Amino acid sequence: MENEQQDSLQMHLDYDGGNILKRAVRWSHFLGILGIVVMAILILVVALAGSVMVATFSKFAPGFESLAGAGGAIVIIIFVLLLGFCIYIAYMLYRFSALTRKGIELQDQAAFAKGMECLKTYFVLAGVVCVLSLLSNLFSLTRLF
Amino acid sequence: MENQQSPQPQPALDNFFNLVFDENTRTNIRTAAQWARIAAICNFVGYAIGLVVAFFGRPTQYTQYTQSDEGNRITAVTQTSSILGALIAVAIGVCINYFLYRFATRTVQGMDAMDSVKSNEGFNDLRLYFKICGIIVIVVLSLCVLGMFFGVIAGLSSLRS
Repeated sequence: MENEQQDSLQMHLDYDGGNILKRAVRWSHFLGILGIVVMAILILVVALAGSVMVATFSKFAPGFESLAGAGGAIVIIIFVLLLGFCIYIAYMLYRFSALTRKGIELQDQAAFAKGMECLKTYFVLAGVVCVLSLLSNLFSLTRLF
Repeated sequence: MENQQSPQPQPALDNFFNLVFDENTRTNIRTAAQWARIAAICNFVGYAIGLVVAFFGRPTQYTQYTQSDEGNRITAVTQTSSILGALIAVAIGVCINYFLYRFATRTVQGMDAMDSVKSNEGFNDLRLYFKICGIIVIVVLSLCVLGMFFGVIAGLSSLRS
């Protein structure tokens, strides 16, 4: 009796909601896989041709001449770390889609809950990136005027 | 025998009723929506800054061309193209982030009020957000592939001639 009362108080995923989530998950699956692949290719490019890219950049960018030396390696490592962070964000999106789809199709409550947890992680990380990019935008604004 | 039909799989009409938004899941979705709202607002402010920079920022000066008609022409072309680029980027970005913001608002409302209709509207906005992002990514990748294709053709034709 108590369980029934508790059950009626909980919010259920209805047919419309399930269909909408299934369709949302299809696109996020695509975006997640594409994000992982693109970032992996970028990491490979930076790892293989990073020193050439940094040397070329330091020639054309005034004030960055010292990058061609030992500083270049640090720049490459920072780039690879940033790309790794981006891969993790894309992986969270992929996990959200995979787990939510599994949860809906197999009626697996645990997988569904984990999928929503991954959605939370994805938006927290994306939100932090957006805040940082806004701060850098504001910084560039102060330098422009 | 022929008329006997094999049992059809039940349409999944009431299948979804087994899945529950428990307290933990609702908290996760609420946190996701709150961060999505922060991201959308940051992006809106970023686009506004981008527009301000494009319209009122100092145009890039090419020192080798300054003090000449050619220099003025190049500066004008650069400024016009940067304004045009900023306008296109802002239009696309605002369209995407509008759905992200709507997802955030409606989902939080739905989760707080335990309202399935509002939550579904929020998830639908999330679907549209991912869909528009996906379509833009497909268009950009297609343009990249086309660019590479024409680049290879141009390279081959210059090698032959």
